[in-house]
Amino acid sequence: MAKTRTRETVVLGMLGTTLDAGRGPRRWEKWRPTVGLCQQEDLLVHRMELLALPGHAELVQAVVEDIAQVSPETRVRTTELNIRNPWDLEETYGALLDYAKAYPFHPEHEDYLVHITTGTHIVQISMFLLVESRHIPGRLVQTSPPQGVRDQGRPGIHAIIDLDLSKYDTLARRFEQEQREGLSFLKAGIDTLNPAFNRLIERIEQVATSSRAPLLLTGPTGAGKSQLAKRIYQLKKTRRHVSGPFVDINCATLRGDGAMSALFGHVKGAFTGAVGDRPGLLRQANGGVLFLDEIGELGADEQAMLLRALEDKRFLPVGSDKEAESDFQLIAGTNRDLQAEVERGRFREDLLARINLWTFRLPPLCERTEDIPPNLLYELDQASRALETRVTMNKEAQEHFLRFATSPEARWSGNFRDLNAAVLRMATLAPGGRITREGVDEEIERLRAAWAKSGPSRQTPAVDLVVEVLGDERAEALDRFDRAQLAEVLAVCRQARTLSDAGRALFAQSRAQKKSINDADRLRKYLTRFGLSWADVAVRGATAVE
Amino acid sequence: MIRIDGSKGEGGGQVLRTSLALSLVTGKPFQMVNIRAGRSKPGLLRQHLTAVKAAAAVGEAELEGAELHSKELTFRPKALQSGDYHFAVGTAGSATLVLQTVLPALMTASGPSTLVLEGGTHNPAAPPFDFLTKAYLPLVRRMGPGVEATLEKHGFFPAGGGKFEVLMQPAPLKPLHLLERGNVVRRQATAMIAQVPYDVAKRELETVGKKLGWLAEERRVEELKRSAGPGNVVWLEVESEHVTEVFTGFGERGVRAEDIAEAVAEEAQVYLEAGVPVGEHLADQLMLLLALARGGSFRTLPLDGHAQTQIETFAHFLDVKVSVEEVSPQVREVEVGKRG
Repeated sequence: MAKTRTRETVVLGMLGTTLDAGRGPRRWEKWRPTVGLCQQEDLLVHRMELLALPGHAELVQAVVEDIAQVSPETRVRTTELNIRNPWDLEETYGALLDYAKAYPFHPEHEDYLVHITTGTHIVQISMFLLVESRHIPGRLVQTSPPQGVRDQGRPGIHAIIDLDLSKYDTLARRFEQEQREGLSFLKAGIDTLNPAFNRLIERIEQVATSSRAPLLLTGPTGAGKSQLAKRIYQLKKTRRHVSGPFVDINCATLRGDGAMSALFGHVKGAFTGAVGDRPGLLRQANGGVLFLDEIGELGADEQAMLLRALEDKRFLPVGSDKEAESDFQLIAGTNRDLQAEVERGRFREDLLARINLWTFRLPPLCERTEDIPPNLLYELDQASRALETRVTMNKEAQEHFLRFATSPEARWSGNFRDLNAAVLRMATLAPGGRITREGVDEEIERLRAAWAKSGPSRQTPAVDLVVEVLGDERAEALDRFDRAQLAEVLAVCRQARTLSDAGRALFAQSRAQKKSINDADRLRKYLTRFGLSWADVAVRGATAVE
Repeated sequence: MIRIDGSKGEGGGQVLRTSLALSLVTGKPFQMVNIRAGRSKPGLLRQHLTAVKAAAAVGEAELEGAELHSKELTFRPKALQSGDYHFAVGTAGSATLVLQTVLPALMTASGPSTLVLEGGTHNPAAPPFDFLTKAYLPLVRRMGPGVEATLEKHGFFPAGGGKFEVLMQPAPLKPLHLLERGNVVRRQATAMIAQVPYDVAKRELETVGKKLGWLAEERRVEELKRSAGPGNVVWLEVESEHVTEVFTGFGERGVRAEDIAEAVAEEAQVYLEAGVPVGEHLADQLMLLLALARGGSFRTLPLDGHAQTQIETFAHFLDVKVSVEEVSPQVREVEVGKRG
């Protein structure tokens, strides 16, 4: 039979100069944690790593002998640590860290228990920290004296404490529940399906509940940055990570002379019109969260002062010669590429470095078409509240709207702002709050018109599609007029699922006026003029978008 | 393979030790499940593990599940080895319990053995060394094997540090019949103290004297100067024509010396009044010896759960029949014979 090697239990513990002490036979009537730990009927210590401070050789010797007597199975190894003052955290932790780093841990064959009943409180705290930080790959063990008179002189009891709280079932369930609630809260209770978005929210939840470093939320306007910032704040408040208020400002509104004063405050008489002290937004946000939306719009002076405030938690109010203090967490929002702004000299590189430790890009709505249905339900609910009437949308109308909303034609250039406005408009115009197919049709037209005004292309193609499809030579040969038109047609085709989808998108106006009956045919004929078929222009190997 | 449910009967360590002893003697492997299943700390504790390891050494046994907290153990002895053994038990177990586990097998081994045991010699919940030498071993000698035990140092709970040696000259076990006690020829109350006030011993002996009417010359204090830790034991020795019995009480902190002595005197009194030769603790051990001898009988007090468990455990390993007959309300006659 192959004898499997049983795991050995190794205890690391500091000699207790008071608790472990005892002379003469009466020492056996006293509870001595280190000896007692080796007398537990349900714990077998194979090896005891007994750490001691200088000058206790005699006590070490006595403890070693007593352990040998009560527990012949236990091998004791003693190490003298060079700690002069065991009440000094820096020195004590340093010495124990050195010990732990040099220790040949073999967690594959040995279980480590760190005995934290003995030693000064600073020793115990240091041991705890070393286990918690996994410098010692073990669990804590705590011993306690015998209870009751009859057990006096007995070894007492021990309890093993695993700091991996996830190993405690009820706690793990609570953490999970809490995290689920946090995620759901950040998503405003909307059951989003987009995996990338859900991952993003999970990450934000982790960071928001464990870090006080600035967060940077990027993404197009209307993607939900300020909504999310507010929810992050509320989550932190619920979890008691912040106690102060949520202060938000769009930096685009902070132009000119008032900007410094609005952010950093001023003292009375700082400038004409400064009739009283003004605390400024940073001071208002003390202990809370400051959300600076469109941070790329901040002027150079404000950027410099903000950097100071982030680094030192201090800044100078306008006209004051005394620095003000404020400890806030910054959430910054931007729809600009701040790196590009840095390159253009419009944004401070050091400030960007300070705020983009955690950058989260909120995707535009058109990248999350699977999330449009749950968001529609959410917006209907919001509209019901805003209009104080129950807003409903029958099945047909809903399907009709969603078909359009999730098609490539729907650009959602204003993202959630557009969706919110669309639903609010439909709800307001719906008789008795019931949105019908007709109401949806009208809204679709309004959206189309709005998006047509705001420019033709939904995404600027990074590559020249005309060159890609026709090749350099033939592309060069085209008139600029034809090339521009073809480029736009190709861009739409790339986004479309099918030839018909692309046709509908390209000839939407004619279609609305019922001028054209077969968009697909019209598109096919147009492409043929350049010697192209649908297969040449569609996304390769795929018929569906993303 | 013999399969034993460790939670049946008294459901503790005894069924394990008896099974180990019988497996060593018979060479039959066994598997025990639900070890100490009903106890507050179920599975093998250190004292049980110590007994298992000692038994494995004596029988060159293969082990499975011999780990702390394990609820299943497989024990496969390969060859019983007589010889020199040294078991350091510590205080989490009792050296005398370890001895009781391995001794029956060494009684019938092919050669003599020397055992040195270190650890607790006078632990509560274990037969103290004086019980072994004065009550148990004389019966072993009467059944054939030559056995001597010498105490070198006392070991009390919780310090341990005791040491004793046992010499075993094996011989086939002969049946023994112990139905009569005969006249009491000597009574001796001993209060042993080690680093405990003398007054404790004095009060214990006075209590025994009062309760049992034992004379001053039948009571003595034994003061130990060089034990590893403090301890107090009071034991009563009743030497009769055909047998010697020993009753023991252990001093405990928080319990008055008088109460300890009172309890042990009460135990002796019940024994004396019943007129039987064998007391409660000796009965369990003697039954095992008779089962190994496949014959014998004795009279004792009403049997408790431990004895019943012993009888059930024998049936797994041995072809013996144990019958218990009620002779009178206070007297039972145990008879051991071949089955069928």
